[in-house]
Amino acid sequence: MSEPSPTQHPTAQHPTAQQPVTGVIHDIGYRRYTGPRDGDARIAFSLYVTALKHAYGLGRSGRSKVLPFLLLGLTLLPAVIMVGVVAMFGFDEQVRTYAAYTNTVQVLVSIFAASQAPTIFSRDLRSRSIVLYLARPLSARTSALVRWAALATACLIFILAPQLVLYVGGLLSRLDAGDETLSFLKALPLDLLLAAMLASITGLIASMALRRGFAVVGSILAVLVVSTALSAVQAIAAEFDSPRTGEISGLFSPWALVNGLASVMDAGVEVITPPQGAVMVSAYVLAALLMAALPVLALVARFRKAGR
Amino acid sequence: MDFGRVVALSDLTLQVGPGVTGLVGANGAGKSTLIKILLGLQAPTSGRATVLGHDVAQDSALVRRVVGYMPEHDCLPPDVSASDFVVHLARMSGLPVAVARERAADILRIVGLDEERYRLLGTYSTGMKQRAKLAQALVHDPELVFLDEPTNGLDPASRMDMLRLVRRIGTDFKIPVLVTSHLLGELEKVSDHVVILDAGTLLRSSATSQFLDVSGALLVEVLGGVAERDLLGQELAAAGLPCRPHHRTVRVDPPPKGVDVHRVVRDVVADHGLGLVRIEPDHGHLEDVFTEGVPHV
Repeated sequence: MSEPSPTQHPTAQHPTAQQPVTGVIHDIGYRRYTGPRDGDARIAFSLYVTALKHAYGLGRSGRSKVLPFLLLGLTLLPAVIMVGVVAMFGFDEQVRTYAAYTNTVQVLVSIFAASQAPTIFSRDLRSRSIVLYLARPLSARTSALVRWAALATACLIFILAPQLVLYVGGLLSRLDAGDETLSFLKALPLDLLLAAMLASITGLIASMALRRGFAVVGSILAVLVVSTALSAVQAIAAEFDSPRTGEISGLFSPWALVNGLASVMDAGVEVITPPQGAVMVSAYVLAALLMAALPVLALVARFRKAGR
Repeated sequence: MDFGRVVALSDLTLQVGPGVTGLVGANGAGKSTLIKILLGLQAPTSGRATVLGHDVAQDSALVRRVVGYMPEHDCLPPDVSASDFVVHLARMSGLPVAVARERAADILRIVGLDEERYRLLGTYSTGMKQRAKLAQALVHDPELVFLDEPTNGLDPASRMDMLRLVRRIGTDFKIPVLVTSHLLGELEKVSDHVVILDAGTLLRSSATSQFLDVSGALLVEVLGGVAERDLLGQELAAAGLPCRPHHRTVRVDPPPKGVDVHRVVRDVVADHGLGLVRIEPDHGHLEDVFTEGVPHV
């Protein structure tokens, strides 16, 4: 740019220059930065957005986008079909309520949480790049909480996407707007609770079992297999006319907790042994909150330890 | 710092100033522990430390805003490119997006990863990984950098490159550096000040020049082999200079006052037809501090 053309004498351009300029290599070298820097809140938000994108494979390799979007497609497909059925045959209500729909695709939701938790929690712990984060402004606690929030949001998006398709589709098919909105709003707190519990359980397992395979298998075991086993227990308990046993066994699985609470809220989910009585319902709420909160505390401790 | 059964650092009192400070010690001497305490990642059992005016126990978040840290161990995720990773970490240090991109590109060029910055970190060689680790420590323009064993695992040529970079950070970039190594010889080339830790205690802390200019002796080398060297030694001794063989050279001990050593050496060499290769001050080496075994605290 500022290089003088070879035909001109350099001093013709720079009459005051003492030394002739014969050509310049622009080595700008090291430059200091004195401009503004983000505060902790903005840094945390930036980490949140990055982690949330990573959960869907965005900003990562092409291959890592396949699974989350495949699962998302599979969970949306039945919703699209249901909307089509409602529209075509002129039903006056949804084939499934919003809460019941999520229960129907529980395998997909569980696999999504189990498979994407390692990208947020195992990766930095395993490669030990976590130390580079901990040597930066965000504390170990904030770092762990933000990642958890990102995973919970990713799960919530996954749960809400088909519900929104049903809702919008239902309204376009002239279903009663009041009924639909009420049903949707009933499902919403359950969705939040479910997303928080799934993020906590799978996040904690992913931060412990650093190998992705182990983390995925462990999470599926904890979320799906336990849930299936407890459903069997509940069925047997109902058969032997001892519903209390079934209700208590429901305290140990996120899906049983959410479905139990859904049936209490009359959100259209069939449960074999729904929680009966105020004490049992409170126990369900408490168990769900603990299942969401306790693993988060463990995650924070895990991140603190990683810096040492 | 007390790890229960192991006391990693004890009774350590030292001050680190501008320029490049070398922190030397054998493996397990407490170098990394010291850096982690300064970063606020570990809490000392007792005592206090201040980094750039911030107390590490109370204001470790403020400390971490203004320092850069290059850990000793591998700490790069294999599945991202160096460019993406350094940009992300710049963001994590609070740089706005555009600035983070620009500085990441600049720094990766400075550490010599211009061409390779879009490659995944998993495909990097050890030397490239060390450079990427250094880049992330500098990308947010820290006021102080901690480099923990930056030459670890490097071949001799890359080792020299890395040391040159460390020197540049201290002199050209004007960022104070605390650099650790278990090799004294490395740090004597790049440091202004050397701190020596041994089993968690301070063995010595002083300017590099003080380590080196203590002897006042000269090394004289002539062409030829052992015969020529010994001839020179005998003749210098005869001329009244205390001396002894030292590898390929003759080491002339600090002479009595009033004797011009250079003049004597010149005359002896000329008289016996020896080919003089060089006369140089005997700098000694930092290792001497250990071999002397005298703690100067």
